[in-house]
Amino acid sequence: MAFKDLREFLKYLDKNGQLVTVNDQIDPEPDIAAIGRASVNLPEGPAVLMNKIKGYPYPVAINICGGWANHALMMELPKETTVRDQFFAMNERWDKLTPPTVLTNKKDAPCKENIITKDINLFDVMALHRINDQDGGYYISKAACITRDLNDPESTGKENIGTYRIQVKGKDLLGIQALGYHDIAIHLREAEKQNKPVPIAIALGNHPLVSYMAGTSIAYDESEYDYVGALQNGVPLEVIKAEESNLRVPAGSEAILEGYILPRQRGVEGPFGEFPGTYSGARLQVEIKVTTITHRNNPIFENLYVGIPWTEIDWLMGLNTCVATYREMKAQQPEVVAVNALYTHGAVTIISCKPRFGGYAKTVAFRALCSVNGRTNTKIVIVVDENIDPFNLEQVMWCLANRMAPENDVAIIKGAPGMPLDPSSEQAGISAKMIIDATTPVPPAKMPKEINILVPPVGYQQWEQTLAKMLKK
Amino acid sequence: MICPRCDSDTAHKLVDAPVNKAWEVFLCDTCFYSWRSTDPKELSDPKTYSKKFKIDVANIPKLAVIPPIPPLEKK
Repeated sequence: MAFKDLREFLKYLDKNGQLVTVNDQIDPEPDIAAIGRASVNLPEGPAVLMNKIKGYPYPVAINICGGWANHALMMELPKETTVRDQFFAMNERWDKLTPPTVLTNKKDAPCKENIITKDINLFDVMALHRINDQDGGYYISKAACITRDLNDPESTGKENIGTYRIQVKGKDLLGIQALGYHDIAIHLREAEKQNKPVPIAIALGNHPLVSYMAGTSIAYDESEYDYVGALQNGVPLEVIKAEESNLRVPAGSEAILEGYILPRQRGVEGPFGEFPGTYSGARLQVEIKVTTITHRNNPIFENLYVGIPWTEIDWLMGLNTCVATYREMKAQQPEVVAVNALYTHGAVTIISCKPRFGGYAKTVAFRALCSVNGRTNTKIVIVVDENIDPFNLEQVMWCLANRMAPENDVAIIKGAPGMPLDPSSEQAGISAKMIIDATTPVPPAKMPKEINILVPPVGYQQWEQTLAKMLKK
Repeated sequence: MICPRCDSDTAHKLVDAPVNKAWEVFLCDTCFYSWRSTDPKELSDPKTYSKKFKIDVANIPKLAVIPPIPPLEKK
């Protein structure tokens, strides 16, 4: 295991040439966001650690998981690993679910080095900054929020770890976006029916796979922590009990904000520059009272720059969305070969499969649209043949150009669930779905006419290797 | 203090910078807009704040409630 928390991962990034440290003093605005934008604009852009922010005592880290190189390193793969190979590597680890190790001694948990229970002031602990100009304020955009099901408080499977946008609305008051289909909204609904507060722990500056799993669509009763262990090839994450509740928090996180969701209360939150590359408006959203902060010495505030795609969020909800959707589909449709749901949380999803019978591509698309992620987030499904790499957009475009007849191969389903932040939808949360069948027809579907596909010349694979070796010399 | 975004007289200083009082942060208790003393006028002055992003206090109760608050369960 190469790293057990954010700090060790920063060292690992540095060792692999993927970390830049800025030691000159910078301003909270616009410098932190500008550096966030710049870091993802660079090819295989680096993570950036900013050590001196004007007016703040502690550093900021940004773009930790952004770029395919950082993404590969997060899974301890060589940083040159292709997207397709990262997909299959993640898929191979997906079943290795490993529960976390629960520490009992606070001295073993760096997140407990400092414990604040009085005069809470979030600005003392983290370098809060505006991300986009018209945001309603300062946002914590990369936290792992931990809550439990009040009707099943001992269940660690139903314990949810999710990333939701959080607006700082006071020294100890937060606004949080809990959309109806988020697991945290299930916890909230049950508590609000009983007018009870929901204990919450908000982990900041996390092991990269904690942040990664916090953005992954898995089943309600599955534990994100168990998946962190899986993606670490069976190495468990270390967690420890929160100060005020039975919630389990990552022991190595930089800071933990503990408190409770105020039941049956909403306040103005937003706007916030969101992942579709547009602002989502102001709404009346859930509020959290922070009552305890625990943090490491010299805590690093890790935050997410969100802008016009791609930014770090597109990697944080990228291959995990692909693999989770693939696993759901593969269980019932073994003909599915790979799933590319990389585009805006899977809004566009490309699936390669071997059609079993005529029209099969549509059943594959229907299944994708019923997956945990796809039921809301996916708007367009493109199905291609099994010999097409869905991560190779040139091949996918070739299929659209040559295997898809618009009059027969496109289906639109109106009035389905949608991603509420989709700026193109007429009603937030309701969307049409489009299925594009770009596969070759198989019986009983008929080919429009006989086709004879080109075959590559004999020996080309050997020549590929030879030429590649010659290039390296 | 007038909020640049909703024009309510409910804004106030929230905090000083923890180091050297390098800046101040202000907060509106009505619309929860916050800004820093170092922000440009477009983000800090009610007269020059973007009209597109202004909030009319009368419209606040009409904003979408997310998620909806469920009915209380009868005991």
